[in-house]
Amino acid sequence: MSEPVLKVRDLSVVLERNGRDFPVLDGVTFDIAPGEVLGLVGESGAGKSMTGIAIIDLLVPPLRRTSGTIALSGERLDQLSAKRMRRVRGKRIGFVFQDPMTSLNPVLSIGRQLTDTMRRHLPLTRGEARERAIAWLTRVGLANPPRVFAAAPHELSGGQRQRIVIALALCAEPDLLIADEPTTALDVSVQAHMLTLLRELHEETGTAMMLITHDLGVIAKMADRVAVFYAGRVIETAPTGRLIGAPLHPYTAGLMQATPAPDADGAMRVRAIPGAMPGIGALPPGCAFHPRCERAQAICREERPPLADAGGHDAACYFPLVEEVVS
Amino acid sequence: MIAHTTERILQTVLVLLAISFIAFLLVATLGDPLTSLLPPDASIADRQDLIMRLGLDEPLLTRFLHFLNGMLHGDFGISYRTQDDIGPMIATRLPATIELAFASLLVTLFVGVPLGILCGVRPNGIISRGVMLVSIAGITLPNFVVGVLLIAIFSVHLGWFPSFGRGDTVQIGGWTTGLLTLSGWRAIILPAITLAAFQVTFVIRMLRTQLLEVGQSEHIRFARARGLSERRIWSTYAMRNALLPTITMLALQLGNVIAFSVVTEGVFAWPGIGSLFLQSIQAADVPVIAIYLIFVGAIFMIINLVVELIYPLVDPRLKRSGA
Repeated sequence: MSEPVLKVRDLSVVLERNGRDFPVLDGVTFDIAPGEVLGLVGESGAGKSMTGIAIIDLLVPPLRRTSGTIALSGERLDQLSAKRMRRVRGKRIGFVFQDPMTSLNPVLSIGRQLTDTMRRHLPLTRGEARERAIAWLTRVGLANPPRVFAAAPHELSGGQRQRIVIALALCAEPDLLIADEPTTALDVSVQAHMLTLLRELHEETGTAMMLITHDLGVIAKMADRVAVFYAGRVIETAPTGRLIGAPLHPYTAGLMQATPAPDADGAMRVRAIPGAMPGIGALPPGCAFHPRCERAQAICREERPPLADAGGHDAACYFPLVEEVVS
Repeated sequence: MIAHTTERILQTVLVLLAISFIAFLLVATLGDPLTSLLPPDASIADRQDLIMRLGLDEPLLTRFLHFLNGMLHGDFGISYRTQDDIGPMIATRLPATIELAFASLLVTLFVGVPLGILCGVRPNGIISRGVMLVSIAGITLPNFVVGVLLIAIFSVHLGWFPSFGRGDTVQIGGWTTGLLTLSGWRAIILPAITLAAFQVTFVIRMLRTQLLEVGQSEHIRFARARGLSERRIWSTYAMRNALLPTITMLALQLGNVIAFSVVTEGVFAWPGIGSLFLQSIQAADVPVIAIYLIFVGAIFMIINLVVELIYPLVDPRLKRSGA
């Protein structure tokens, strides 16, 4: 296998409160291969978005990275100076924010925001930047690009704005695109369009993608591989098909049952996992999931299960659901 | 847009009418113009004559209409104190006040804006903390205390600037200016700083709050995530957003500057309309007080109107909303 585009090892982030550090991310480890789409899935607060922000080094106090290595095509990002890191953001890692209504600067034209971004990273004249910007607006499927170029954000709909956010993230042709809940803030009808667009752009450009979502449906549609987050840790990682077909971790199985899906007789069934994910600073000892887990034994309460390396489908659980099919 | 403009202009006219009516009621009901204007030994015939001349025997509404009509034709009535026409009285003193307001606006722009930006961009820096501490003084100290302190330090103790008056002035057409002489410039510095003290701190705090807020916003985070330089982010992406409300507030404050100049003009014996107002109060010169109130009201209303009408030109979000 070739060198991963992104290699994250043992990434830990803490939140400092009253002089004490509370873990927010704990030993997060994963790879993204060239051209691969990795889905990060989990509940709100599980640390998915935090992972994205930590990779581009935009954590702000009271959040702080305490350990871990982040390598982009072999280059250690965690050792770069702030100045060189600014050259990585936008140029080599594109980032799509969740809410298109607040991601665009309200008082600058779309064209200005696009050309500023491109000219920061690419040696373009004003005219070339404008041409490219219009080409990008066309590429993300916007009608009448010259009009959109001159428009202010408030003149556009949420779906149009999210297309622009995607164009802004991709316009300097990064090696990796991090998309943080790119469809969550959109109408359901627009969500499908946006996923199709991301898929198409991914196939055209070959950019590797890290897709952060809480929606297993989005994962099933988009991701090659999945990393499941729970309470700041990766608890299961597997190729999408295997994970959805036969999850190993009880939490993953629970998450799938909590996703509305029609069963055999066509009725929609949802089964919620009892309890709630522990908040920051309230992690139980042992496996963070054990208070909600039906299979928990004594060891789960005492010792934290490591993410076992089991050849591509790894789970951090002492009693994984082997050979069992989720009903 | 046009309908909106007309509506706002009509509203302004209505409010001005209301202010005029209240001011007129002051003139009509407070004090006795006859005792103020006539010598103590005036005859009954003299009294009758003056009553006729001022139209005091007519009904209230008729007198108000006369009053309005007079103002429209530049006749603002006469002062009870000096019996002069009020129009020219104000006109000769207006340049002093306008120059003072303008000078204090410059101080506000050149001191307040840079410091506000500094405090917004580096809120935890030593300079920022110092500025914020001092600015509390600017907010809480009344104008006259600032003025008296400045006089005590720079006029009495150091002797750098005069403590009163405008210095030498030059007449240009109907406008007397102090800005063309050295002594005029020296004279305007302390009053301008005094008058600007509140505005400066106001602008610093406003810009700081705005910048801190914009700095936290999602679109600035997104700009950072796209690798834009900090310089570009602050100077364009954040400033544009922060400046809009600041400019609005500054423009609206211009009315306050002119209205509040009463105190500053009093402290520095600045020969503007503010000191005229003070003298008029002391002499119970009700017509001058009334005209001054109308005048200040008109300035306020016109500035508000202009700001509101040009705002859509600055903020693209308001352009097509028609609201």
